[in-house]
Amino acid sequence: MKKILLASSALLLIGANAASAQEKTLTISVYGFAQDAFKELVYTPFEAKCGCKLVVETGNSVERLAKMEANKASPVVDMAVVSMADALSASRAGLIEKIDNSKLTNFNKLYDIAKDPNGDGMSVGYTFYATSIVYRSDKMEVSSWADLLDEKNASHVAFPNVTTNQGPPALYMVGEAIGKNTPDLKEAIAAVGAKKDEIVTFYVKSSQLVQLMQQEEIWAAPIGRFSWEGFTKLGLPIKWATPKEGQTGGMNVMVLTKGGKNQDLALEFMDFWLSTEIQTALAEKLVDSPSNKEVKVAPEVAENLTYGEETVKNLKLIPSDVALDNREAWLSEWNAQVGQ
Amino acid sequence: MFQNRAEALALALPAAVFAAIVFLAPVVILLAEGFRSADSWSLSAYVDFFTNPLNRTVFLRTFRLGLMVTVVSAVIGYAAAFAIVNLSPRNKGQMIGLVVLPLMISSVARTYAWIVILGRTGIVNQALQLIGLSDEPIRFLFTETAVFIGLLQLFLPLMILSLISALENMPKDAIPAARVLGANWFQVFWKVILPLTKEGLVIGGTLVFTGSLTAYITPAILGGSKVLMLETLLYQRVTVANDFVSASVIAFILIVMSFAANLLLKRLATARNKR
Repeated sequence: MKKILLASSALLLIGANAASAQEKTLTISVYGFAQDAFKELVYTPFEAKCGCKLVVETGNSVERLAKMEANKASPVVDMAVVSMADALSASRAGLIEKIDNSKLTNFNKLYDIAKDPNGDGMSVGYTFYATSIVYRSDKMEVSSWADLLDEKNASHVAFPNVTTNQGPPALYMVGEAIGKNTPDLKEAIAAVGAKKDEIVTFYVKSSQLVQLMQQEEIWAAPIGRFSWEGFTKLGLPIKWATPKEGQTGGMNVMVLTKGGKNQDLALEFMDFWLSTEIQTALAEKLVDSPSNKEVKVAPEVAENLTYGEETVKNLKLIPSDVALDNREAWLSEWNAQVGQ
Repeated sequence: MFQNRAEALALALPAAVFAAIVFLAPVVILLAEGFRSADSWSLSAYVDFFTNPLNRTVFLRTFRLGLMVTVVSAVIGYAAAFAIVNLSPRNKGQMIGLVVLPLMISSVARTYAWIVILGRTGIVNQALQLIGLSDEPIRFLFTETAVFIGLLQLFLPLMILSLISALENMPKDAIPAARVLGANWFQVFWKVILPLTKEGLVIGGTLVFTGSLTAYITPAILGGSKVLMLETLLYQRVTVANDFVSASVIAFILIVMSFAANLLLKRLATARNKR
């Protein structure tokens, strides 16, 4: 009996050693979106290149950040992708580390706004999206964000809830349009609140909007460019507005976990993801708009992305510290003015 | 059946331990969160919750809708169940099948169907305009009415089924006897049918009320953030604000309301008994 035990534990030890020798693993934490495409275009090619194994954790950013916080002492995740504001929040919480740009061979190919979005050297942008207004061009005209709240239009509008990624940027632009743009978004929220009975709904999931548009429940809604494609297939006269105040949007970034055990491998993976080849592949499948300015895509692909120097330059993004410092206040102001 | 209690307990132990570890303990830990402030026990999270006017509105709305859905489903349920139990066995089977059918369809699909039906270009608005009851489309979606309709459709089958089984257990000659003795239909219902079927009403009422309180998909899709309910508010607190304290307060309120509804209905049933 003893012999058998000894032999089996010896075997186990050998097995464990062998496994650790051949299998380097990199754990990444990403949004649960388009994972089939990411697996095909990014994860599998990277595994082949590095001879390592990728472990992918998915979820929304609140969940994933809470998990990183809980595992702060012995991090599980090596790198994560989050929104710009969440990156700043992770950095303030001491969860992430400075990114050594010299190890990213593709760093200089990035658009300037993607190089260091929060100005603290802790993140690199890998994609962004424009947010503007999708509308029925036969029913209304949109030349300003204020047109959404117009007497004739408000009762045909779906506005993003402040809790969504599109909510604060859309409010920010409404604030611009009414000439009262302050970081607390107070006036913009009040302007939307004044129309809360007219506005059809304060949407939480943009996937719902295509159906509402098809049923003529709504004529207009602020959306992220990544949702645009569905509307183009409805066969209705639908346009993407270019309001005089400009378009807004958001950026997603990569961060490196503090105290992670595979930092070099994580940087190698980030570099791979930012390369012209991978960013082009992701753009062509309409998964993510490229932050690498060397990416060239056909016009019909570009049509469905946030693409090109000019577009990127004119995006009015909410600074992360503004978003982070005001998030709770926006929510309580929103709940007071709009939520009841 | 068993030699002694110990044997029976031993057999029940694995299941009990399993339930305690994966269900009871997490629930207790989660709920305890709502009673903690800094390092001591306190009710401050509950006081904070109810001092916020939005939370009060949401609480009252959830309660009101739950109550309305329960009452209306009881009224419709009695009529439907009464009609069904008086059918021939063959037809009865078919009708019960029809009542059960919606339960086999995902509540997401059923709720989405309401978006089409209640929409501006949907069949309800078209019909209203056709018969001249309204000039332009009425807005149903994202109102309390839509949530009410969605919840009613979702839980009515549970009420009908509970009442059918209660009515079937009622002595067949109770109603004719009451009629012969001169009771009108209202008296027959109030003094004969209701007391004899109250068990079914208690079960159905509890299922419908707790179901309406805790349904998430229907208020989320048909009400959206304009018609926040406790369950959609709970979701918002967790996913947006990462605020597990308020979430556990809401969870506790929902559990208490469910238990209270059940106790109250049972109490009403026994109170009528004694009289």
